[in-house]
Amino acid sequence: FGPCRVEGVVLSELWEAFWAAKSTVQNQDDITSVRLLKPQILQDVSDAESCYLVHSLLKFYLNTVFKNYHSKIAKFKTLKSFSSLANNFLVIASKLQPSKDKDMLSISESAHRRFMLFCRAFKQMDTEAALVKAFGEVDILLTWMQKFYQL
Amino acid sequence: VAVLPAPQNLTVLSTNMKHLLMWNPVAQPMETVFYSVEYQGEFESLYMSHVWIPSSQCSPTSGLACDITDDVIATVPYNFRVRATLGSRTSAWSTLEHPFNRNSTVLTAPRMEVTEHGLHLVIKLEDLGPQFEFRVVYWRREPGTMEHIKVVKNGDIPVHLETMEPGAVYCVKAQALVKLIGRHSAFSQTQCVEMPEESLPLAL
Amino acid sequence: ARTTEDTARLLQYVRFQSRNFENILTWGSGPDSTPDTVYSVEYKRYGEKEWLAKAGCQRTTQKYCNLTMETGNLTELYYAQVTAVSPGRKHDSKKTDRFSSLQHTTIKPPDVTCIPKVRSIQMLIHPTFTPIRSEDGHQLTLEEIFRDLFYHLELRVNHTYQMHLEGKQREYEFLGLTPDTEFLGAITILAPMWSKESAPYMCRVKTLPDRTW
Repeated sequence: FGPCRVEGVVLSELWEAFWAAKSTVQNQDDITSVRLLKPQILQDVSDAESCYLVHSLLKFYLNTVFKNYHSKIAKFKTLKSFSSLANNFLVIASKLQPSKDKDMLSISESAHRRFMLFCRAFKQMDTEAALVKAFGEVDILLTWMQKFYQL
Repeated sequence: VAVLPAPQNLTVLSTNMKHLLMWNPVAQPMETVFYSVEYQGEFESLYMSHVWIPSSQCSPTSGLACDITDDVIATVPYNFRVRATLGSRTSAWSTLEHPFNRNSTVLTAPRMEVTEHGLHLVIKLEDLGPQFEFRVVYWRREPGTMEHIKVVKNGDIPVHLETMEPGAVYCVKAQALVKLIGRHSAFSQTQCVEMPEESLPLAL
Repeated sequence: ARTTEDTARLLQYVRFQSRNFENILTWGSGPDSTPDTVYSVEYKRYGEKEWLAKAGCQRTTQKYCNLTMETGNLTELYYAQVTAVSPGRKHDSKKTDRFSSLQHTTIKPPDVTCIPKVRSIQMLIHPTFTPIRSEDGHQLTLEEIFRDLFYHLELRVNHTYQMHLEGKQREYEFLGLTPDTEFLGAITILAPMWSKESAPYMCRVKTLPDRTW
C-alpha cells in the first residue's frame, strides 16, 4: 500500500473465506439502496494515501464491525469465514505503519476525510443493520485493497 | 460422582503445513472417553476472549489427536483447548501451553525422482498440497556451468526440465516454497543423470 | 435469491451467469407457473434506490435476459429482479444475490493456434476481448482487466510426463521434440488474485516428419 509493505498474506485466502459466507451475509442486508463504501470513498486514492485509508478501515472493521458482528453468527460456516477474515485483517493491520511525518499531513487528512464519509454513513444507520451491511461489503474492500497488491 | 480429569500434555506437531494437535488419554477402564477441541485465533483472544470456536474435525472425537489444519486459516498465534467427556461427566478444559502459529511448521526437503526420456530431463516431485510450489535448480555438470531455475507449481505430475545433449551429465536439486508463510525448505539431495551417447543413424 | 411477496410460486433460481463478463440473467419457472406466464426484468446498482426496467425483457416468455451492458461497470455491484405474472392475476417476484462481475465471471478457454514443426510446436494465444469498455471507449481484453493474468501451457508427452511453459506473453514454443510424434497441448488462462482459472483449450498436434539426412 504505497510506502507501507505487508507480506505473508495471500488475498485469495481472504476471498475464499468471504465467498464461503457471502450469500448468507449479504442476504441478511435488506437495505439495497444504501452502500457504505461508496465509490467516491475508494476511487482515485493515491498510493501514499492508501496506507492511511486501509489502516483506518481495517482498524474500524476489527474494533467495531467484527467485534460486534460475532454475536450475530448462527452458522458454523460463517463463523469460520469470520474468524479467517478477522485474523487476516489483524495481520495486515499490525504490519501497516502509516508514516507520521509532518509533510504527509495533507495526505493523511485526505484519507481521514474519506474514512469519515464511511463512518458517517455507518452511523446514520441502525447499528445492527450497519454491522450486517459492513460485513457484507468486505468484498468491496478486498477489491479495492487488491489494486495495491504488488505482483 | 468423581470429577473427570482433564487431558494433559497438549502438543502440536506441524510438518509441511499439516498441523496435528495431540494429548494424553484420560484413563477410564472399559469406557470410551470422547474429547472436544476448540480454538481461538489472535483476533478472538484479543477482542473477544470468551469466544472459542469448535474444531471442524474433532468436536467430538474418541481419538487422541486432531487434524487442526483446516482450523488454522491465518498466520497468527492460535490457542487450542481440549476437554474430556464420559457420559454426562465432563472434565475441565486443558489449554495448549504456547499458542501455535503455522509459520513454525517444519518444512522438509521434497522427495524427487529425476529420469530421462530420450533427450528430455524429467523430474517428479512429491505432492504436498496446494500451498506448495517447488524451486528446481538444475545444471549441466561441467566446469563453469550455469544453474537454471524452474518453479514447478504442483508436485504430482512429472515435468520436463531441459532437452539435454547426448553424453552430458545433468544434476538437479529442489526445495519446497510456501508463500503463505514466506518460507522454504532445505534443498533435497542432488541427483544426477547421465545422457546416453547418441546412437549413430543407420547409414544407407 | 429471496422472495419479496410470494402469492404464487412462479419463479426459482433467479441468478446471473457470467462468462468473460457477458452477464446473462437466467431463471426457472416455478411449480405454479403456466406456459403463458410472462416475465419482466428490472435491475439496479447496489446503493441506489430506483429499479430500472430492462427494455427488451418486459412481459417476455423467455427465461433469460442479457444484462451485459447494464452491469458493465467493474467497480459497481448490482441486483436484478424478475417479476412473473400469470393469468388469474397471480404474480411472483424474486431478486438475485448481490452481483459483481469481477468476482463472479468465469474465464472461457483461450483461443489458440497450435503450429507443428519438425522438432517443436508453436502456440499462439489470441487476445480475448470482453464487452467491458475503458473510459476512452476501447474494448478491454482480459489481460487489461486482470493485472496478474498469465497463461499456463502444458504439452503431454505419451502420458508419461509433461512439458510446462508459463508467462504473460502470447507466443510460446515447445522445443526438443521427436519428429513425427503426436502430442496433446492444454492451454489455460489464470488470474490467481481472483482465484480464477479457465478450462483448458486442447489441441492434438503431430510434429512433422524429419526429411533431412
